[in-house]
Amino acid sequence: MRFEGRNAVVTGAGRGIGRAVALMLAKEGAKVVVNDPGVSMDGAGHDDGPADQVVDEIEKDGGAAVANYDSVATADGGEKMIGQCVESFGSVDILINVAGILRDRMIFNMSEQEWDDVYNVHLKGHFNTIKPASQLMRQQRGGRIVNFSSISGLRGNSGQGNYGAAKAGIAGLTRVVARDLGRYGVTCNAIAPGAATRMTAAVPDAARQVRAKRGMVAPPPSSQMMAERTPEHVAPMTVWLCTDAAWNVNGKIFHVAGGDVSLAHEENVLTQIEKDGRWEISELAQLVPNRLLAEIRNPAPPPKDLEIPGRPAQPAR
Amino acid sequence: MGVLEGKVAAITGAGRGIGRGIAILFAQEGAKVVVNDPGVNPDGSGTQDGGPADQVVAEITSAGGTAVANYDSVAESEGGENIVKTAADNYGRIDILVNNAGILRDRMIFNMSEDEWDVVMAVHLKGHFNTIKPASQLMRQQRYGRIINFSSESGLWGNAGQANYGAAKSAIAGLTRVVARDLGRYGVTCNAIVPRAWTRLTATIPQRDAGGPQAADAPEPEGIQSYDPDMIAPMVAYLASDEAWNVTGQDFLVYSGVVAVLNHPVAWRSISTPGSWTLDELDKMVPRMMEGVRNPAPPPEGLEVPGRDAATAAASG
Repeated sequence: MRFEGRNAVVTGAGRGIGRAVALMLAKEGAKVVVNDPGVSMDGAGHDDGPADQVVDEIEKDGGAAVANYDSVATADGGEKMIGQCVESFGSVDILINVAGILRDRMIFNMSEQEWDDVYNVHLKGHFNTIKPASQLMRQQRGGRIVNFSSISGLRGNSGQGNYGAAKAGIAGLTRVVARDLGRYGVTCNAIAPGAATRMTAAVPDAARQVRAKRGMVAPPPSSQMMAERTPEHVAPMTVWLCTDAAWNVNGKIFHVAGGDVSLAHEENVLTQIEKDGRWEISELAQLVPNRLLAEIRNPAPPPKDLEIPGRPAQPAR
Repeated sequence: MGVLEGKVAAITGAGRGIGRGIAILFAQEGAKVVVNDPGVNPDGSGTQDGGPADQVVAEITSAGGTAVANYDSVAESEGGENIVKTAADNYGRIDILVNNAGILRDRMIFNMSEDEWDVVMAVHLKGHFNTIKPASQLMRQQRYGRIINFSSESGLWGNAGQANYGAAKSAIAGLTRVVARDLGRYGVTCNAIVPRAWTRLTATIPQRDAGGPQAADAPEPEGIQSYDPDMIAPMVAYLASDEAWNVTGQDFLVYSGVVAVLNHPVAWRSISTPGSWTLDELDKMVPRMMEGVRNPAPPPEGLEVPGRDAATAAASG
């Protein structure tokens, strides 16, 4: 029992990855606030059921848990779930930010509402829980924060301007929070999961096929891949980051999909060109494509039949 | 003849610093320029002041170039629409959008107010959406366009005290990757600049405590002071030119005479298991994966850190 005497808040814990993490934390002795407003994948509606069910499951197994139905999308909601953990169990030692929604749309068709809703739950939602939790963790000189970024968000999937920006923003937030809190014995890391959940199932098959046809993403996951990339596969690494053994792991992004756990590259320099003085545009036009980007593929090239000023004429056939 | 002859560009935050340098070079290269700047203070406060934008327009027109001023704030969707509309109304189209406007409100995460978070997000992240959305509609119709966003090392590497700014700037890198994929098929490219330059904005960064957990990989302000904002413009002009038709979805670090392309946060070091990991296995394997990877903000020597004490005891015993 690695978390005897530790208390945790897990957002979006009614289903999927959050549920798997909450169950594993409880099994290891943590007392858990199971947060879930029980909304649909796009953030609409409300249902106490999912959070209640997970609390039941934990209690039946001899663990301790309470349900919370607040939304992370408001500062008030974030404060309430952190406050509930303190009132119920006496402290907050672990915060896991899993809650998320999807509203996919191409950037030129995306409404302001679709942008705002996704931003509010993901990126602002992380701030809303981290701010009050960080105050307590700083005072007690210890704590663990695990955020949720996304492999597709970090890589960039067409049709996910809102989600991709928010998930990349969470990676940046993680790096800063790690630096703000490291001196107080608090760590902050992020998981970028690849899992087959209710949320990824919401990406329509048609959209998957269109993307695959353009060569932008992998083809739809096979049923075997779905079985090998369950939410339960994401829990162990997430929970491990909360153990004492992980005291010196901070500010990192981990990709987790099935049995694969990877440390992500920081966005450091891949290659560079330099000169003494200001570049001429003509020099850059030579060196950027031929030297700087020589090994880098264009992730979204224009179609062959589109007239593209600057593109060398296609060889006649 | 300049490389941007006949093109129409809108540049946000172009009244001062990096944006001003871009506007002037663009005009020299033959572009018609919308010089956007509401003329506020570095923290976004203050009443609108047309002065900075007007001055840059005057500078451009007295040198024989073509430019018009716009004073809208990118923080509102209406402001973003007006900036794009100013280009279309005056010059008939928009070929190039440069999102350079920005503010700073630094604070440690545990002290950051919701307002400090919100205003920085509104200008940087939402500000990018607010201009990209209307510009992308026109660029898609005309099957041509260049979008150049501004990210920052603060987000990609993480600077203490910049949770709002770092998260927003990292999110902009994520947004850039998605927008590139949404628009590539329409002959539109989208890239991000990660600048190092000494401007009015960086001058607001407080002196850094040498003993603090400041990211060692971030340049010291003293170092930044030698970085002239005018050195950023040539790479932006290259990305805006026809020649850069095949460059999209990338982050470029630019300072002095250096142009570098950055890694995306893809998997770097991995561990794999056929099934699901156990915590005991991760105890052993994660430290192996992390070997030689620096903790950017380790806890101080004097602090009681549960896992560290166990590790120290094991090593000495």
